[in-house]
Amino acid sequence: MKKAIYILFLLSTLLLLAFGTALVSDKKASFELVSKTKNFVAGNSIELEFHPNAESEKPQLFIIHSYGKTLLDATREKGNYIFKIPENYCNKTGEISWFLIHENETIKSGIFEILPNDTTKTVVENYLGPRTILAGGKEFTMMVTVPTDGFDNPKKEDTNVILKHQFLQNVTNLNLKTKNFIAWYDIYSPTKSGKMLVSTECDNIATKEIESEIYPNIATNFTIDYKRNHEFADGNQITHFTTSNIKDQYGNTVSDGTLVSFLIKTKNNLVLKTFGTTVNGIASAQLLHPDHQEVYSVKGFVTGIAESNSITIIYKPIISTFNFSFSNKNRTLKVGPITSFMNQLVPDGIKVIVKIFHKDKLVATLKEETSKGIATFELSEDFYKEKNYRFEITTLGISKQTETLNYELHK
Amino acid sequence: MREKSNKYLLAALLIGLVFHGSAIFFTLENTYDALIHLFFGNHYANSWFEPWNYSWYTGFTVMGYPPLVHQCIGLLSFIGGLKFGLFTVALIAILLFITGVFRFSLLITGNRTVAGYAALLAVFSSSFVETLHIFGQLPSIVGISILMHALPEIYLWIKTGKKKYYFTSISLIAVTVCSHHVTPLFGMIFFILPLIGMTVMDVAREKVNSYKEVKLKLFIQTTFSLLKRIIAFGFTSVFLIIFCIFPYWINSKNNPITQVPIPHGSRDNFLEVTSSGLMFFVIPWGILLFLLPYIFYRYYSKRYIFFGLSITLLSVLGTGGTTPIPLKVLGDNAFNILTLDRFTLWAAIMSLPMFGEFAYRLVEGDLRNNLQERFGSVYYKILSGLFAGSFLFMSIFTITLGYFRPFQPQKINTLPIINFLNQDQHDQWRYLPLGFGDQMATLSYQTKALTVDGNYHSARRLPELTSRAVERLENSKFRGLEGIGSLQQFLTVPEKYNLKYVFSNDKFYDPILYFCGWHRLTQLENGIMVWEKLNVPPLSKILPFEDVPLYQKLMWGIIPLLTIIIAFVLNVQMILYQALKLKPITQPDFFKFAVDYKKFPRKLVTILHLWTGIVLLIIFYFVYQFYISNSSQLSPKNVIKAYYDAIDFKEFEKAHSFLDPNGNKSLSQFMLETAVQDGILNSYAKMDAIDIQIVKQTENLAKIIAKTKWVTPLEIIEKNYTHEVIKEKGKWFIVPNKIDLDIPPDQFVSNNGTEYFKHGRRAVSTQMTYHDDVLKQPVLEILSAKLIQYNKQYIIIGEVQNVDNVPADVVLKATLYDKNDKKLASFNSKYEIKHKLMPKEITSFKVNFEDIAWSKNTDVKPKTFNPNEFSPLEIIENPVTFDIQCAGNVAITDLYTQVALSDFAIENNHIKGTLFNFGIQESTIPEILVSYYNDKKELIYVDHFFMREGVRVQRKNYFDYELLNLKKCKTLKSSLENCFVNGLANESISNAVVPNRKTSQNQEQLQKVKGNGFDYIKIEINNYMGNPR
Repeated sequence: MKKAIYILFLLSTLLLLAFGTALVSDKKASFELVSKTKNFVAGNSIELEFHPNAESEKPQLFIIHSYGKTLLDATREKGNYIFKIPENYCNKTGEISWFLIHENETIKSGIFEILPNDTTKTVVENYLGPRTILAGGKEFTMMVTVPTDGFDNPKKEDTNVILKHQFLQNVTNLNLKTKNFIAWYDIYSPTKSGKMLVSTECDNIATKEIESEIYPNIATNFTIDYKRNHEFADGNQITHFTTSNIKDQYGNTVSDGTLVSFLIKTKNNLVLKTFGTTVNGIASAQLLHPDHQEVYSVKGFVTGIAESNSITIIYKPIISTFNFSFSNKNRTLKVGPITSFMNQLVPDGIKVIVKIFHKDKLVATLKEETSKGIATFELSEDFYKEKNYRFEITTLGISKQTETLNYELHK
Repeated sequence: MREKSNKYLLAALLIGLVFHGSAIFFTLENTYDALIHLFFGNHYANSWFEPWNYSWYTGFTVMGYPPLVHQCIGLLSFIGGLKFGLFTVALIAILLFITGVFRFSLLITGNRTVAGYAALLAVFSSSFVETLHIFGQLPSIVGISILMHALPEIYLWIKTGKKKYYFTSISLIAVTVCSHHVTPLFGMIFFILPLIGMTVMDVAREKVNSYKEVKLKLFIQTTFSLLKRIIAFGFTSVFLIIFCIFPYWINSKNNPITQVPIPHGSRDNFLEVTSSGLMFFVIPWGILLFLLPYIFYRYYSKRYIFFGLSITLLSVLGTGGTTPIPLKVLGDNAFNILTLDRFTLWAAIMSLPMFGEFAYRLVEGDLRNNLQERFGSVYYKILSGLFAGSFLFMSIFTITLGYFRPFQPQKINTLPIINFLNQDQHDQWRYLPLGFGDQMATLSYQTKALTVDGNYHSARRLPELTSRAVERLENSKFRGLEGIGSLQQFLTVPEKYNLKYVFSNDKFYDPILYFCGWHRLTQLENGIMVWEKLNVPPLSKILPFEDVPLYQKLMWGIIPLLTIIIAFVLNVQMILYQALKLKPITQPDFFKFAVDYKKFPRKLVTILHLWTGIVLLIIFYFVYQFYISNSSQLSPKNVIKAYYDAIDFKEFEKAHSFLDPNGNKSLSQFMLETAVQDGILNSYAKMDAIDIQIVKQTENLAKIIAKTKWVTPLEIIEKNYTHEVIKEKGKWFIVPNKIDLDIPPDQFVSNNGTEYFKHGRRAVSTQMTYHDDVLKQPVLEILSAKLIQYNKQYIIIGEVQNVDNVPADVVLKATLYDKNDKKLASFNSKYEIKHKLMPKEITSFKVNFEDIAWSKNTDVKPKTFNPNEFSPLEIIENPVTFDIQCAGNVAITDLYTQVALSDFAIENNHIKGTLFNFGIQESTIPEILVSYYNDKKELIYVDHFFMREGVRVQRKNYFDYELLNLKKCKTLKSSLENCFVNGLANESISNAVVPNRKTSQNQEQLQKVKGNGFDYIKIEINNYMGNPR
């Protein structure tokens, strides 16, 4: 029995001892934040100092910053624990949440803020876009400014920014305030085309100029005209078409290179085309003279956008008739000399078409071009073996028919 | 017994080193393969253990080729650069080959003098010269040389059973395996099997008194007695073949060669394609052709009977497609993968011992006596002189072949290209060289930029490449339809491959580049034209690759060099003993079986004479045929054909000689006339076929229509020419055609226009382009967009206008979706669009949905060549809706609009029109875009037509276009709903820029036509300038 009591005593002592240790470890370490500053300025070093109420193991500090989360170890100075925030974190504005961790438990937490450093040199970032807009006040280009401190932190809300933009003689200054880090402004296009320069200023720090091009708006209707060397349909000279100075509704000359299509309707309702691109608002295009009497009606288009008046151009025939002759036992047909409006020989390369019929059936179509006003056709005995042929000769829009001619055959 | 050094071998080595060693510096870099090996060498130099290479084919693995030779080049490059590595390896290969032939000949003949002769002859043998100096197949040479070194060891192992020989032989086999995979595989069959046969024969011979007594029974008995050694050797070598290049076999299994076979000259019928016959039969055999009876006579003696069978099979397989036997023996698959010239090479090498023997007997042996006795010494001297002379001639002819008929484009200075790629981050995109030949490999290893093309076709991965018999995109013009078809897919949708730059060394490709929407950027100082495509995204930072397990990488990186080290350690003693004569060595067993050259068989001399006669007759026959086919003025047809041949090859003086001398057309006039003609036919076409029809013919006169077919980069063009031909003094001549007499109106012309320039970056800086320097994308507006069905194809058509104030480059991509909005197909517009638009210019467009041609086995490949043809994508689901993504970028070139439609007629469903060029640039290839409209003036179809000839300044040219029948053309959907421009909705753009669009203006410009299924047409002109000023 004594033995039992003895054992019981021992056990209870053990139990007590066990409780004792449990009590010691149960007693939480507590720390007190020594540094009470809630706001820091970017670029300065930041330290959080904690005073331990009792001797304890080193705590750690977990911080959440816009750069990321990290765990800091403390250094001990004069009995206090000091956490040094990493330098790159100190340079960046924003809220920092901290959590003091001791033996895997958060025992204290808090928030402090890093503010932009106004003592450093201000840097202004600015963006402008789109870089080209159309004149007329419907489109705008947006200027966005981000004034920052020397550490690339956006300045605090309601920082004053001056926006300046120049267009022709007008220089406009605007006072803006930053909101959500940025200051922005929509610059609507003027009615004139040209180049607009924009810059911003903050804390006497100015940006470089950025330009936006104000392009003329779409074309309005215009007129066309033509010029030619003579009024004859010689198939060789060129008729030049020009437009009036094409402008938009605000009186701006349209951009260089604007394509104008010239539509030419012939008297047979065929559609011909030539193209011109504008230089200083005037587009010019060219077209070859027809090689027969013709009436062209011409109209210019900036398709879908603007059109011109319609003009009529009359081309007179250069010949009313022409001569032809057969020789070499009708084996050689000479057409010409064809003479033009001043009785001069027609330019080389005028097309002469001869259709050959035998008993009213088309046997062959021959094409030759004139040289010195004359086109010559050789009708070889080897290929044209019938006894008679009839010919139809066409040139410059005039057709002539021959009698039926007889041919000798050697074979 | 002390042996003297073999003076023939020494001479062979010295001559070989000097002759080949100096010649390789002028030949090797112009060969077909050497630069590829250099490229691989560079890969190992940079990443020894990483088999993935990004440079070619959007990435490929180098485990597709045994690495040893490449690794040696890579290793040596650390000493003196890559080329040092290449040439050093080549020199070693030469030494190995000569000594290999010596040892192989010694084994066969057992006579050191004969072997010395063989080594000497090997130096100049045309097959070796061709393989080294024309093909540049270093691994193949190294492989076969090491195999020849292995043969005596194998013989001795099987015969004597000494373990030493077992190890030496298999160590050499291992080296062979690592240098070339095909050599040991076929070497087993064609070299080692007959060698084993010969060994057994020798062992059997020792049991009796002569080879005559060796009967089948004894042979089989002996075989069984040696079976253990044979099996031991056989199994070890099979194991080595698998083990040494284990990753290679795994790779072959994972990426089997499923691609369409690439035509190779060695598979041609040599009688039909004589050039292939020359390259793959006449040159490798060379002078041996005359000795075939002797070689077969010797190899069919009892001891060599197995070699006799082997060489017979080799020479038959080497005939390629001339006889049907190789196809039957190898089967379809192997026949189309293997290049059959290697069989001829092996046959020629196998012949070398007998060739040496023959030479020995001719120079100092019994053949000399025989000839001198029978025909006298003068005959003997002349004969042997001729023989030696033609042997050397063949060798020199072969080595200089590349000089007279270059296989490669002229050497390109790659430095400007490399500088270009390094500038301005140009290497962030892929590039494509065109017309570079095998020099593209040189470019690839010098730059870190990547290309979609490549030069090791077994490693191709993109289906666009593997489904076609296109070796390289770079030379696609030589591969007809498939080549151009493949190329045009890459050029039409380059953003799929991040392909932004094309380096063109061949003007031929210019039109296809232009009409696919590319433009010239600059001409480099080496004459290479750089073409650029806008709106292509750069390569992503991380590129996909196929990884292999670490053990494979280690095996690949370690085993090959290890085999060399082991083989060196095992074999070096013997070589040193032999070379330095340090220690008397016992003569190997095969010396016992040397033949005494006592009496050259009389009959054989007669047969050789007869055979020489036959070969000479065949040669004369071919020469005569060649001569006859070149005589051109025998008949009207011949003269026309010859004329067009000459025109095709730009031999204008020759072409002129076929013109009637009385036709008053002097050569200078003719040259002048051809010089001023330009256009797709005159500058970019190659004649494909000509059919000549006589319309009328009398005795001295004929009228002929030449129906010609021309291959151009854009399409196939058929054109008929009418000619009159006359006979004068027994020869036919062509009556010259009259020239265009039209005279331009003005002698001196001035022109005002707007030209454009854009700075890339205004600040000289290597940083990212400043925000200020980024140009706004020009605003385009899609005016109409339709999904139509025509000829069972789904097509998107429409019109787009550049509504901005700057010229725009237009990239237009259309996508089809089914009713569940599942994407069915996507493609870019190709020919039917003006890719460059002036401000406010309108173009019609059409998007065809192309498939990768012949991707299915069932597809029948067209025989004829038509680059304009494409495989329409088979769309199973019905497309219900579509979207169009259109992107504009600021364009500054190719904006020529000064060509007018100056005359026009509609006859019999044809449009006959005249274009007149009033500007001051020549329009080399004018393209006519014809848009078709219905009675409500709604767009229903778009077609294109390339004019055959260009329009010169202030001149006219005519076109004739046949209108289509569009009765079956259905419009399925017309909607602008899902059209986007620069990522913005088209509707928002049309509201912003041209809110009150006057649609009637477009309609007013249409031409009324009575057509099949349409009522109006519109004509637009797209001008390609070949030589812009």
